[in-house]
Amino acid sequence: MISSKLWDWSSPVWLLIALLLIGYLVLVRGPSRAQLAIFLGGLLAIALAFISPVGVLSDGYLFSAHMVQHLVLLLVVPLCILLSLPKEQMTTWCQDARLDRIGRLLDVASIGWICGVGAMWFWHIPTLCSTAAQRPALGLVRDLSLVIAGIAFWWPIYAPCERYRLSPLTGIAYLFSACLGCTLLGIYITFAPLSVCPVFASPVDRIGILNSLYDAGLTPGIDQHLGGLMMWVPPCILYLGAIISLLCRWYSITDPEPQFLTPSAQPSGATR
Amino acid sequence: MFPVFQPESPEAQAIYDLFLLVLMISAVIFIVVAGLIAVAIWRGRSRATLPKQDFGSEKREIYWMVGPILVVFWITAISAKLALTVNAFPKMQPPDDTAAEADLTVTGHQWWWEIEHRDSGIVEANEIYIPTGKKMRVKLQSADVIHCFWVPQLARKMDVIPGRENYIWLEANQPGTYQGRCAEYCGNQHAWMNFKVYALSPADFDQWEAGEKVTPGTPAEGDAVAGEKLFFAHTCANCHTVEGTLAQATIGPNLTRVASRQELAGGAIENSTENLTRWMKNPQAIKPGCRMPNFKLTDDEAKQIVAYLESLD
Amino acid sequence: MSTEVATPFEPITADSSTGLLSWVSSVDHKRIGILYLLLAVFFLLVGGMEAVLIRIQLSTPNNTFLSPELFNQLFTMHGTTMVFLVGMPFFTGFSNYLIPLMIGAKDVAFPRLNAMSFWMLPFGAFLLYFSFLTGAAPNAGWFSYAPLSTKPYSLGPGVDYWIVSLIVMGVGSIAGAINIIATVLCLRTPGMSLQRVPLFVWIMLMQAMLIVITIPPLNSALALLCVDRWLEAAFFEPVRGGSALLWQHFFWIFGHPEVYVFALPAFAMVSEVIPVFSRKPIYGYAFVAGSSTVILLLSYSVWAHHMFAVGLGTSANIFFSAMTMLIALPTGVKIFNWTATMWGGSIQLTTSMLFAIAFLIQFVIGGLTGVMFAAVPIDWQMTDTYFVVAHFHYVLIGGVVFAIFAATYYWFPKMTGRMLDERLGKWQFWLWLVGFNGTFMVQHFLGAMGMPRRVYTYGDNPGWALLNGISSASVIFMVAGTLVLVWNIVQSLLHGEVSGNNPWDAFTLEWATTSPPPETNFESLPEIKSRRPVWDQQHPEHADWKFAKTPEDGGHRPDRAQVCAWAFVISEAVFFVLLLVTYIVFNAQASGEGPSAATVLDVPRTGVFSLFLLSSSLTFWISERSLRAGRRRAFLSWLGITILLGITFLCGQGWEYAGLLANDVTIDRNLFASTFFTVTGFHGLHVTAGLVALAIMFTLGRQNQLTKVHSKPFGAIGVYWHFVDVVWILVFSIIYLGAFQS
Repeated sequence: MISSKLWDWSSPVWLLIALLLIGYLVLVRGPSRAQLAIFLGGLLAIALAFISPVGVLSDGYLFSAHMVQHLVLLLVVPLCILLSLPKEQMTTWCQDARLDRIGRLLDVASIGWICGVGAMWFWHIPTLCSTAAQRPALGLVRDLSLVIAGIAFWWPIYAPCERYRLSPLTGIAYLFSACLGCTLLGIYITFAPLSVCPVFASPVDRIGILNSLYDAGLTPGIDQHLGGLMMWVPPCILYLGAIISLLCRWYSITDPEPQFLTPSAQPSGATR
Repeated sequence: MFPVFQPESPEAQAIYDLFLLVLMISAVIFIVVAGLIAVAIWRGRSRATLPKQDFGSEKREIYWMVGPILVVFWITAISAKLALTVNAFPKMQPPDDTAAEADLTVTGHQWWWEIEHRDSGIVEANEIYIPTGKKMRVKLQSADVIHCFWVPQLARKMDVIPGRENYIWLEANQPGTYQGRCAEYCGNQHAWMNFKVYALSPADFDQWEAGEKVTPGTPAEGDAVAGEKLFFAHTCANCHTVEGTLAQATIGPNLTRVASRQELAGGAIENSTENLTRWMKNPQAIKPGCRMPNFKLTDDEAKQIVAYLESLD
Repeated sequence: MSTEVATPFEPITADSSTGLLSWVSSVDHKRIGILYLLLAVFFLLVGGMEAVLIRIQLSTPNNTFLSPELFNQLFTMHGTTMVFLVGMPFFTGFSNYLIPLMIGAKDVAFPRLNAMSFWMLPFGAFLLYFSFLTGAAPNAGWFSYAPLSTKPYSLGPGVDYWIVSLIVMGVGSIAGAINIIATVLCLRTPGMSLQRVPLFVWIMLMQAMLIVITIPPLNSALALLCVDRWLEAAFFEPVRGGSALLWQHFFWIFGHPEVYVFALPAFAMVSEVIPVFSRKPIYGYAFVAGSSTVILLLSYSVWAHHMFAVGLGTSANIFFSAMTMLIALPTGVKIFNWTATMWGGSIQLTTSMLFAIAFLIQFVIGGLTGVMFAAVPIDWQMTDTYFVVAHFHYVLIGGVVFAIFAATYYWFPKMTGRMLDERLGKWQFWLWLVGFNGTFMVQHFLGAMGMPRRVYTYGDNPGWALLNGISSASVIFMVAGTLVLVWNIVQSLLHGEVSGNNPWDAFTLEWATTSPPPETNFESLPEIKSRRPVWDQQHPEHADWKFAKTPEDGGHRPDRAQVCAWAFVISEAVFFVLLLVTYIVFNAQASGEGPSAATVLDVPRTGVFSLFLLSSSLTFWISERSLRAGRRRAFLSWLGITILLGITFLCGQGWEYAGLLANDVTIDRNLFASTFFTVTGFHGLHVTAGLVALAIMFTLGRQNQLTKVHSKPFGAIGVYWHFVDVVWILVFSIIYLGAFQS
């Protein structure tokens, strides 16, 4: 059966998930129920990205599945990690000088922006994209770098300590310009002639599902189309959601100190 | 009178059903919103006291957006579903090469349509004959600028773009004549770039096809003989084709069976002796800007050429 | 020169305050605002006349009143005029006049720039209309689809005039928008936090930001079209490898946000009018403001819904359909909030309020037909018919123009000190209501009858003559209504009722000063403790700040030169990004024919010259630090080195160009050559412009006119200079190093 081939139950990712879960339960003290749920959601996302059909198909078959995997690693997992960290504990941690230095470094908006948007662009330079898809070691480097870049990207918006966060308006500019960055890449991939990642143009039929894929209409052309749109629409909607949350934060009258722009902390491509 | 509302193919019917549904949803939304506004005005119209200064409620804002969000998702979902079916082409194999399979090739020109049947090789201008009950695959291409192929009763609209090939399905439930038009502005005579789809029952269609395959003979007597000479003397053959003769150019419409056509010049005039004569004497008076120049024919010459063209049947 | 630099932001005052010259030379935001409005009114009449001619031609079947040539010119000019010479100036005029008043400022941030922005407009308009005198006005439609607008199909100079005038007007619009952004961000009076500005100001700020990022795609499309038409490149010529769709993408990346450039100001105006005439604050300020921000962000990702019929592929269509549906939601939020504002209010049915209510209802109709078009299959049936004509006229006239009328009746007393007559106003309202709906409601049905848009005539099909007749006849009502308005304005100016400071008992700061306001706007300002300072002053017992807390003003205002520089750089960045996209589109795959990057470019040599350019950023930074520290000699020498490095880079470019031209690699050779010369050429132009700015600074520095206080404007030039370098890094990696090439 094809459907059974699409699940990779024996993936080593389980080990990683178990380690992360143990690590979280041991290291993080007193997470609220919501935070625990968010963390578990993040783990579920990792599982889906590697074990579900998304993971199997992204391994050499479908560019669009590969894109979904990237998005989960770059945007969903880091966001879940950041949101699952309890504020009080992190505030205590951040009083440590070394951790504080890292926190403040990540707070430089342009670093986060370049990490987040740059990672996406960088890994879709055609040769790199193909090589990473063929060499597992480079693939691992890519996946790790995506998660780290994702944390750096979300840090100025959802850092667990208030003081590392950008002011809401700057945050909006930050997210909007990132959305434009994704849009551009999405347009490029959607409308580019075949193919951005040549590996997927002529897949090696590892587990004998290629014909069923084509029958379902997922030919390389359509696949790249979908991949480009994946790159483009879901992240932009996610950013939009984050922007709306920032707007709520900004207009909320309970905000003790009104936030104002500091021209020094502007991401490239943002002014207010 | 309302071709959009009188669909004659399964595809057009599906689009019409969706249209009607969305129209109804919109009407309900409109009545609710306009009603609320009307009530607000009616009640507030004669209120003299200072009203309560209400700054809004976050909770209410979120509640009243639930409805619109659901409606929007619903419309998106049903329209996406239909979009997938309307455009579905079976047997799509990599590398998406289905060009050879088109039953009809339609080429947009400024300002007329050229139609080629794949199997029979018949070439028509501004008239498309199809058998009923058969889904015809139509390849759309352009010889110059962007046009748009639209037969409201039968199919979706599809742009006709130079350098690209677009495909649609053309199908008619009933025998009949269906008006088609160019819908994308394509220059001076965009208004007269109409065409007609003639749907015939399969038996009638076979008969029509057989008749088309016979090459018309050369005229033997009357003005038509002189007309044929003039046709070649006046360089008509530089642009037009008449099968069975030396005229084989493809810049203008194929004239092999020009006399059998109902309309001329993209629907600008009906095909009658009188109109054809007017056209021969000065095409620019009827369709200003069209590619056919005024040959300044004398009355006699025009009469003879018209006689020749009318013999092409 | 010297005096101008010594007092960079002081408005000049003309010797006398009256007379034509005083208007022409004025840099007062109120006068410039009124000039914008006058220009808009003038072109509203011109564009309206074009529409009348169009409707006369279409009133009967097979009409020969206009030749097809002239008809096509008229609808092209009608569209272009209404978009660029009516819509944009109306809104810029109102925001120019009102924003400084509403935020308690004396003037806009850059008064001289403001005057320049305005005068670009009549200049552009002159170019556009001059085309009639050359015998060939543009006739490719207001969106000038290529390849119809390229040389083989539009031989006359009409399209060339169109291109140049649009670029000129676009430059003016961007400059004007940057000015508004800087004004709102930097010049708010103490106490007015950004969360307290009137909704008009906030939404117009969003609109200005949208203009800054939305005009550049148009400019890059126009640049490509220019190169095609004048230098015989083939960007849009499929036969030579170009793409017929690229134009549509670029145009609608501009064109759809442009719709919101129009809709947002209408929202802004109505958000002021409805609360005042309901005697209530706006319901859900944060939601109206926030939804405008969301619209701004979403408007950039819906353009391809104009292209559902071009065959982009079903997946792309569905994604764009979903995004388009999404953008309906923030608009819906606004409609609900306006209704909720009226709910329970004490409604005063002034002319202004009537127009605002009609706006609301007609805009809902236009919006709902918009949702229909977002449903892909319906679009496949209805697009490019009169249904779409009806749809966007409901948005643009029923919505936007009605909002402009509401704003006119509302703010006219502030601008002139006299009231418009309410009785005549109601005449105008009803005439327009009947005329507008009569003209455009029937066009929905014409669309369903299968009438395509932009046809100069039509056959005598059943029903067409009747509905077209009704549509044309109804125009008479709109014309009559317009005449009533003109008469009303003239009467009011001559002997209208004197209005006083605050005739409507309105809420925002512009009503705290005299009507018309004095040159410096305010004698004194009320204390700003809420969103409705004038209300607080008039109704102290109901003052807003007692009931609804709003974030306090932290008092920080960014530097206006920095804001200006950043906004400009963002705008330019969008321009370059689109040019680079063009390069990638045409060169991602080697074409095989003719020269390519791999065969003709000398990468190491250009790499060396790139280092010169990049190091100039460093030297500039040192020079800037020296200026801040007051070390004049160091400042001058490092600035000089910066200029020399820039010139060296340009020489390198010249060397490369000479080599290419010698090898017969010219811009019309193939698409690689066209894209290469276009991208590097525009970059070279920007470097040159930067060098000119640096040279001016150098000269001023040598004349001892630059001191520490000028380090901020100097820093703003620095932002630009670094930007040019960043662009070069992208150009170099994409073109020379061939990233994104498979």
